[in-house]
Amino acid sequence: MIEVEGLGKYYGDVPAVQDLSFRVGPGEILGLVGHNGAGKTTTLRSICGIIIPSRGRIRIAGHDLGRDPLSAKAALAFIPDEPHLFEYLTVEEHLRFVARLYRVGDAEDRIGPLLEELSLGDTREALPGELSRGMRQKLAIACGLLHRPKALILDEPLTGLDPVGIRRMKETIAARAAAGTAVILSSHLLHLVEELCHRVLILHRGRAVAFGSIGEIVAGRPDLAGRPLEEVFLALTHHGEGPAR
Amino acid sequence: MIRVFWYLTARTVRNRVARELRHLRSPRYVIAFLLGGGYVSLVLFPPGATGAAPRAPNAEWVELVGAVALAGVVAWGWVFGRERRVLTFAPAEVQFLFPAPITRRELIRYKLLRAQLVILFNSVLWTVILVRERIGVSPWLRAVSLWVLLSTLQLHRLGAAFVRTSLAEHGMAGARHRIVSLLAVGTGVAALALSVADALPALAAAWARDIGAVFRTAGEIAERPLPAALLFPFRLMIRPLAAGTLAVWLQAIGPAALLLALHYVWVIRSDTAFEEAAAEASLRRVRSIEARPASGPPGGSRRRVSAPLFTLPPTGWPELAITWKNLVAVMRLRRVANALIVFGAAAGIVGVVSFRPESTVGEIIGLLAAMWAGFLLLVGPQWIRNDLRGDLRKLDLLRSYPLTGAAVIRAEVAASTIVLSVAQLALLLLAYLATLGHPTFDLTLPQRTAMLAAAIAVLPAVNLLALLVQNAGALLFPTWVHLGSGRPGGIEALGQNVLTMLATAALLVMLLVAPAILAAGAVLLLRPALGLWALAPGIGCGLAGIAVEAALLIDWLGRVFDRTDPSATGLEMA
Repeated sequence: MIEVEGLGKYYGDVPAVQDLSFRVGPGEILGLVGHNGAGKTTTLRSICGIIIPSRGRIRIAGHDLGRDPLSAKAALAFIPDEPHLFEYLTVEEHLRFVARLYRVGDAEDRIGPLLEELSLGDTREALPGELSRGMRQKLAIACGLLHRPKALILDEPLTGLDPVGIRRMKETIAARAAAGTAVILSSHLLHLVEELCHRVLILHRGRAVAFGSIGEIVAGRPDLAGRPLEEVFLALTHHGEGPAR
Repeated sequence: MIRVFWYLTARTVRNRVARELRHLRSPRYVIAFLLGGGYVSLVLFPPGATGAAPRAPNAEWVELVGAVALAGVVAWGWVFGRERRVLTFAPAEVQFLFPAPITRRELIRYKLLRAQLVILFNSVLWTVILVRERIGVSPWLRAVSLWVLLSTLQLHRLGAAFVRTSLAEHGMAGARHRIVSLLAVGTGVAALALSVADALPALAAAWARDIGAVFRTAGEIAERPLPAALLFPFRLMIRPLAAGTLAVWLQAIGPAALLLALHYVWVIRSDTAFEEAAAEASLRRVRSIEARPASGPPGGSRRRVSAPLFTLPPTGWPELAITWKNLVAVMRLRRVANALIVFGAAAGIVGVVSFRPESTVGEIIGLLAAMWAGFLLLVGPQWIRNDLRGDLRKLDLLRSYPLTGAAVIRAEVAASTIVLSVAQLALLLLAYLATLGHPTFDLTLPQRTAMLAAAIAVLPAVNLLALLVQNAGALLFPTWVHLGSGRPGGIEALGQNVLTMLATAALLVMLLVAPAILAAGAVLLLRPALGLWALAPGIGCGLAGIAVEAALLIDWLGRVFDRTDPSATGLEMA
């Protein structure tokens, strides 16, 4: 599971994220939504240990990210919006590389089925430069899923995927959650968030303005009852744009 | 259109300088800036220097040596030239310029304009560095001469890259469109082969006498008709730089400028042929696709990739995965494959001639191999970059791995250390084998064997320190260091590369002082009892000193890595 308490990240005096607290339980999918610059990516990167928060505490599968970063990182997978792959490793070699980093003892048994699940079976020997944007994204996802993470962090996971890929990806995310993985999904595709996520965290200018299931969020706003997430989101964030970061 | 390019270039330079200046708000950058300024002033105005200018070198020799060196640079560019560095456009340039209503010719003009930034900077740099030397007429005219020379070389590399790319991508169609260029190159290669064949006996005879005789003979050979014709364009390029008087310079600068103009025309005209060849090849490709059966491999044909040196098992030290990845990447670089071909050819020749005492070829190859091994000690850490410098733009990814910063640094630097050490030791082994059959060599066989054994022990440790220095520079000053697998290259960027090399070499020497003292102390202490064998524990003590320094550096850099914020340092994911 993922626990975030009082998370804050400042660049000089400029706050990117302030006083953010939430918890994602095993099997739960949390949708993280907000305008550009609302602090979504900063939040995700802090949870993954990529940037060091200015304040607050993060625990991944019971491991404190600040005190025991290796155990915390070993339990999570981060799949960024832009797939970043190594130019000279083939598809299969990427997975072998990740298997070693995360000590996946049964990698031989896992790699084949995972490649098939993500429709990458025919591209084992291909270099990233020979893959389409969608295939590269799938490879990044395969790398993230190989070690059976207890926490899965996805930043715009559907970018570049074709309709079949989108459908498969949605099934994969739901299947991981059903298997007990805590998932945070950041996306501007609000219909996707509405379809997949159990709860939603709406960020605005680095602060949480709403947290809970859509029903819980609109409970205090009878005027929004029954409205789609898109309208709820726009109403709560006043159509405003956040700071630059 | 040129105004748009000028605007883009000028604003890019202005904003980049502004960004670098903003970095000076960080104490780390201020200290580095002051140290760098002090270093540059030491290079330019050495404290022991007197007011008297050094003696002017012989202009004829400057011209001859310079022309031969330029011929070597140009030949290297044709054989091993890296098109990507010359032709590569940045992603933003591709996104904005390629779909814009701009002709290929204008794009080339833009590339030439951008290249002028590096050329002008290095022309100034060399002019300042050589301000005390008495080569040429005056520093100002020398700056002009350098600019003409570097611009010509840059244009030549670009033209060569067009020809090579055209041949590689369009085969015979490309060759037909490059017939004039290919004829010129072919004539040059044939003239070179004939010249070398003609000169070898005289050079071998001179080699048997002394090194002075070799130079004198080389000078005489250069005056023969064929070598003189071969060197003529290179002499034209270097002559303004070597000119001793204003009158000579005025006579020399015209032909050099004409050569520059011809190169400009060659490059600019190349684009038309390039486009025609591309169109022809595209047409042929369409026809072949139409003729191809419907079933085929998914995703079309793929580049064959070489198998990794070893399969990475899923268990064991996790950081070994990074070292493995970096080694796989090196083995798949084309320039490494080229180097292996050259090495293999040299090894083959050595294998044939090394046991023939009368063979000069083996001796020359051995000498060259030993010189290259020594040269790699200086330039290798800059050239071989399959480490943090290649990966730092993927800092987000590295930081998400369950590895400590120290483990990442260790794994990254290990990869480039292995590659550099293997290259040096292979060259030394080649030198050793090439001189096996030479009883008259100054060093005896046991002495050479002992030196090889010492090199095997010491070189990897020294390389480790040198590469730690390079990686520390990238990690501490990521916006000041060129990141990625390539380096700013070409002879036009030689000035800045030399300055960086000297600075890092100075740091390396400082780091080696303590281990050297330890080693010398051990040798002095044990020599009365062990004699020459005291060298072994001496080397051991030196290595122990290097190991302690390396461990401390890795630990420190690991903590820096763990604290580095990708967004605050400008190292967003690339």
